[in-house]
Amino acid sequence: MSDYGDSDYEEMSMGGDEGGYSDDEGFAYSDQEEGVASPVAKSSKKTFIVLDSEELRERLKAAVVQVVDLLCISDAEATRALRFYKWDLTKLQEDWFTDPDAVRQKVGLLDEQPSTRRKEETCKICFESYPVADMASARCKHYYCKDCWSGYVQTAIDSGPSCLDLRCPDPECKAAVPRTVIMAVADAAHKKRYEEFAVRSFVDDQRQLSWCPAPDCQHAVVSLSDRLGVAQDIFCRCGNAFCFNCKEEAHRPVDCETVRKWMIKNSAESENLNWILANTKPCPKCTRPIEKNQGCMHMTCSQCRHEFCWLCQGPWAEHGERTGGFYNCNRFKKAVEKGEVDEQEQKRQHARQSLERYMHYWQRWAENDSSRKKALQQVDKFRGEQQEVLSERTATPTSQLKFIVDAWMQVVHCRRILKWTYATAYYTFEETSGATKEYRERMAQHQEFFEFNQGQAEHYLEKLHHKVEKDLSRFLKAKPQPGAEGDGAGGSGEAGPSGSGDAGPSGSRDQQAAWNTFREQLIGLTDVTRIHFEKLVNEFEKGLDEALKEYDAPMEDEDPGASAAAEAAAAAEAAAAAAAAAKGKAAAAPSRRVTRSSKRRQSSQDDPETTALEEETGFWQCRHCTYANDLGDKVCSVCEQPRDATGGR
Amino acid sequence: MSRTPTAVAQRRIQSELRDWLQHPPDGCRLVQYDDLHTWIIELQGPESPCQPQLYTGETFRLRILFSERYPLEPPEVTFVPPSPVHPHIYSNGHICLDILYDGHNGGWSPALTINKVALSLRSMLASNTDPRRPPGDADYCARMRGRSPKETR
Ligand SMILES: [Zn+2]
Ligand SMILES: [Zn+2]
Ligand SMILES: [Zn+2]
Ligand SMILES: [Zn+2]
Ligand SMILES: [Zn+2]
Ligand SMILES: [Zn+2]
Ligand SMILES: [Zn+2]
Repeated sequence: MSDYGDSDYEEMSMGGDEGGYSDDEGFAYSDQEEGVASPVAKSSKKTFIVLDSEELRERLKAAVVQVVDLLCISDAEATRALRFYKWDLTKLQEDWFTDPDAVRQKVGLLDEQPSTRRKEETCKICFESYPVADMASARCKHYYCKDCWSGYVQTAIDSGPSCLDLRCPDPECKAAVPRTVIMAVADAAHKKRYEEFAVRSFVDDQRQLSWCPAPDCQHAVVSLSDRLGVAQDIFCRCGNAFCFNCKEEAHRPVDCETVRKWMIKNSAESENLNWILANTKPCPKCTRPIEKNQGCMHMTCSQCRHEFCWLCQGPWAEHGERTGGFYNCNRFKKAVEKGEVDEQEQKRQHARQSLERYMHYWQRWAENDSSRKKALQQVDKFRGEQQEVLSERTATPTSQLKFIVDAWMQVVHCRRILKWTYATAYYTFEETSGATKEYRERMAQHQEFFEFNQGQAEHYLEKLHHKVEKDLSRFLKAKPQPGAEGDGAGGSGEAGPSGSGDAGPSGSRDQQAAWNTFREQLIGLTDVTRIHFEKLVNEFEKGLDEALKEYDAPMEDEDPGASAAAEAAAAAEAAAAAAAAAKGKAAAAPSRRVTRSSKRRQSSQDDPETTALEEETGFWQCRHCTYANDLGDKVCSVCEQPRDATGGR
Repeated sequence: MSRTPTAVAQRRIQSELRDWLQHPPDGCRLVQYDDLHTWIIELQGPESPCQPQLYTGETFRLRILFSERYPLEPPEVTFVPPSPVHPHIYSNGHICLDILYDGHNGGWSPALTINKVALSLRSMLASNTDPRRPPGDADYCARMRGRSPKETR
């Protein structure tokens, strides 16, 4: 196990929880989010806080106490004033110190004496007389008996959240009914509802607070972002990931408007007339509508068996290698150039192209979405029963299996990011007829750059997904290790042979070694995948123009001395690029970019030559972030992880 | 909704009745109250400060129905047709006046009395110069046949 420790890892994967609510507001608050928080948020600053009902109430109380202290008014008055000012402390304070009486008038915080000094008053609701001591007022001169107050207050609470703004029953009187009166006259059930309305208003009235939209979740979220009104990913403790701004599923780095457009398009496109227009053509001989469903232009009519070319609609007999093969038609091209193709046909071609373009992005979007959902189910399954099984089979306490959940959560998170990059690419790289040549060239450059990075990120994600899914199942099937806790007879009986003939002490040693390697690789791969996605997201949010500029800038400005790293890692780079290209994702980027990016890209994970390279190139590559550090440095200058060549963390 | 008012409500209605009989509001006459659950009030068309004098010389009848939870809930107040021609009064007698309704946009308060309601209605008539029904009067009356005006809220 070397120095692999829970606490260490915990810190790594959950990070960002140390910050409480900003200190100047005086809220002492400590957050304990579980490991489901964004795996990507690791090193970045905390941007939101999740609150459960209890924490929410405490926060509300703290806000009231602060106003009590600042304005020297009662608890009940502070509550009303805050509610009136939609919990905007700054505005309330400003107005109060300008003209406290005006604020008192507006909010209804009166301080009148009873009109008479009599011992008895007539209740203006039941018209009966009571000793003043048995009556109450909203600090105005209108006294009502306790029974009438409780009827009045409870009726108001029954009619909804407007009870928070309840005023004295006298129609001419603006006095706010203080919380103290409400608490004194309402029954327990109504008091509870009143408090719930108060908490609701506390969240609903403040722009920086929001409820988690998951159906059964009671948690609220405080956004610490200084840019409200734009997309912000939130990871609730219940496991739900949503956008603070539009309440849709989390969709960083894509903006809310693109998500909205995309979702609308998805629901409309299936019944789109475009599809019919693009995919059927009347047979030139018998006019039966023929559907095109493959890439080949060679069509055969299902009715009259006439063979024709989809593009020029000429007989197929006149086609062949000369005319451009099965997927193209030179005759059609020439006809277009000469202006011989009718408008209808051009429209059809255009519709088909844009539909194909949409399908290309949609398929990738949908694939990643379903992978994400399956991965989520896997996490549940792992947390459910698999964890126990694996713990037994690998002689590892469940507390030290958290890295598997983290890997799964990383997969879930990255699938979501990847999915949204496809939606956004659809809009970003839309064909722009009529655009200038320079513009089109720049867009082509953007697209190439974007797809290259997307391909890189996807490449690692596929590896990670494969490892946590396929490789893990090997250990789940393995025989329990001798001496493992809870090594029950049932467990060993059920286990099938793992295929490597691993009976005996040497077998179990092999198994242990394999397990250790698996763990190290999975942790490393989780980190590397996270880094690649962070980069993708950052570039996207920065704007591709900006990101490209930085990329092409001279190397010295960022990492002096690291250029040696470039060549060393170029081999790994080329392999990664080739893998991406092979998947049809992106061709290798221009050489300068490849070189440039290589020093950041990982290779050490499964690259046995790293040590030799280190000597040769004079740097060591960080296992966590892949940065190329000087051999003199003990700690990575990017992620501050120790060099620790043994792989222990 | 018009179940018998509770004991508290009965006491309050009794008190209001006593007050009314001692100091009846101007231009108003209580013509039926033997059943404490329903009152009928006769309203003299007010002398108006403005021209034209729309309601002068006319008499209207108001029906007050006390709810079980009166005065926490407002009474049901309608004109017995023929109702005054007014942009806030439907021909079936339903009245569009916020103090007659509770809830979200309602202005009813348990500190209001029938006395004050009657006065509000007279001043509503006195200030009107537009002899018209509310828009959609016929539709509304067809839809609300036999129902309480509170159901529109
Ligand atoms: Zn009373
Ligand atoms: Zn008052
Ligand atoms: Zn939640
Ligand atoms: Zn959004
Ligand atoms: Zn045919
Ligand atoms: Zn052709
Ligand atoms: Zn590092």
